[in-house]
Amino acid sequence: MIIFEHVCKFILSDVNLHIPQGISLGLIGPSGSGKTTFLKLTCGLLEPAAGSVYTMRLIPEKNRRKLGSMTGAFFADTPFFREEDTVESNFRDLKIIYRMQDNIFDKEYYALAERLGFRSFEKESVKQLSLGQRRRAELGALLLSRPKLILLDEPTEGLDQTARDSLRELLMERKMEGTTLVISSHNMEEISAICERIALLDHGSLRYYGEKELLLRHFAPDEVMEISFSGKMPDLEDLPLRHYSLHQNKLKLTYNSNYVTSAELLRHILAQTTITAVTTQKSGLSEAVSRIERGEKHELY
Amino acid sequence: MTKLYPYLAFVKKSFLGLSAYRFNHFMGILNTILRIFIFWEIYRALYGGRTEVDGITITMVATNFILSMGLDSVFFVNDYYLPDRIQNGSIATELLLPVSIHGRMLADNLGHALFQLLFHFVPAVAVSVLFIGIAAPADFSMLLLFLLSALFGYGVLWTISFAAQMLSFWLINVWSIMTIKNVFINVLSGSMIPLWFMPDWMRGVIRFTPFSSIYFTPLQIYLGQLSFSEILHGFLIQFFWIVILLSIGMFLWKKGQKKLVVQGG
Repeated sequence: MIIFEHVCKFILSDVNLHIPQGISLGLIGPSGSGKTTFLKLTCGLLEPAAGSVYTMRLIPEKNRRKLGSMTGAFFADTPFFREEDTVESNFRDLKIIYRMQDNIFDKEYYALAERLGFRSFEKESVKQLSLGQRRRAELGALLLSRPKLILLDEPTEGLDQTARDSLRELLMERKMEGTTLVISSHNMEEISAICERIALLDHGSLRYYGEKELLLRHFAPDEVMEISFSGKMPDLEDLPLRHYSLHQNKLKLTYNSNYVTSAELLRHILAQTTITAVTTQKSGLSEAVSRIERGEKHELY
Repeated sequence: MTKLYPYLAFVKKSFLGLSAYRFNHFMGILNTILRIFIFWEIYRALYGGRTEVDGITITMVATNFILSMGLDSVFFVNDYYLPDRIQNGSIATELLLPVSIHGRMLADNLGHALFQLLFHFVPAVAVSVLFIGIAAPADFSMLLLFLLSALFGYGVLWTISFAAQMLSFWLINVWSIMTIKNVFINVLSGSMIPLWFMPDWMRGVIRFTPFSSIYFTPLQIYLGQLSFSEILHGFLIQFFWIVILLSIGMFLWKKGQKKLVVQGG
């Protein structure tokens, strides 16, 4: 779907990657690491200074309009609507642009308006809306024509929790239908919930590209287990723990999940004492990312 | 036809969208009528009771400014269509839509122009004809040729704006350029002062600009002042300017777009 071959542009240097169709990719990295540049290259708003980009087998900057009929791109800093017109009028423009039948448009529009919650202000002109209201309508507009490829640059900025949840649900549905997603965000939970692949950019170079699970296993293998027990303190000598702490009768174990599973730990402890409550916590994507950014070597197996 | 569908739909949408601003619209008509009557009084005073100066009758003069100002209301161009979009960055959004940005711009303007033709030109000219009177068209074929030539005149006006708008890729503010452009159009097109009254050297200069093709060529056809070969010549000149200005505009557009994709925003 998207191919980058030795691409250089602005801060990006020698980026190589291939995003197959139907993949949902989370684009992460600190501010100024080239995320927006990456997305703009993908849809043809920028031309690579070196190397080549192909989106759906086309050279984006030469086939912008053709790609436009199959792609929805959203950039947080670019106005999407005509300010003087109402939300509804802007959607009617899109209906014309994508040549949508009346019944299909009505179905899609009302469903999106209901779910993203912009029905209540559809008759207001865009310039009167708050940032959050505007975002909701813009994201609805992006999904209206059911594009095969969706590019989102910081889509959740300014959205409240309800709207974030609706957006996540909508994107998950589109993903199930085979839509390719590329989302750049600072919000790791957001990315983590939707995307199965991660591309990590740091100062313009691709530090990691691959499965999210693998990234977590490499860079954030630690799990924390809290066990409340009644009875004698279990012997933890033989277990490959990173460290543990005891507070009254609550035991907190930190371990590398590549070396030992929670089931193995439990089995070992259960054999020695009575457990009253257990919770486990995996470290998230943000942990992995900050470790990569700190330049730590990963410890694999 | 299916290729044209979005643009026709935008013409319709722009046409219907204008009906919302009634008060604004009536003030516009009033403005045109007032301007016509002020000019009428000025020319009456200048003619000082005579009916003819240098072979130009006052009826010809009245016909000139009534039709020019009428057409001026029809010939709608939004000079800031592209500049606004380049300024606020929404050009990027529009570049990614599967319709031509120029086609959409033309469609928006045409819808506006059609609306103006029906609800501005017709009433304003009707009132003026009733109270001031204009010369009848030379004959029916001249009336048809006048309409065709007026359409090309709009083409010239539109392409001048089109080319000028492209400068906004390099300039932060094109307001001054647009203002100068519009002054040139007002003065040199003959809509205020008929080109008959211009000194010979000035008419010589104006001949080499696109401005007289906008209102003055159609008007001369209407009055039957041009022979068949002169009419043909007039059409060719209009056509020439449209092609030239459009090419300049498209050339600048390509350069401007290149600037966008190379430098980004």
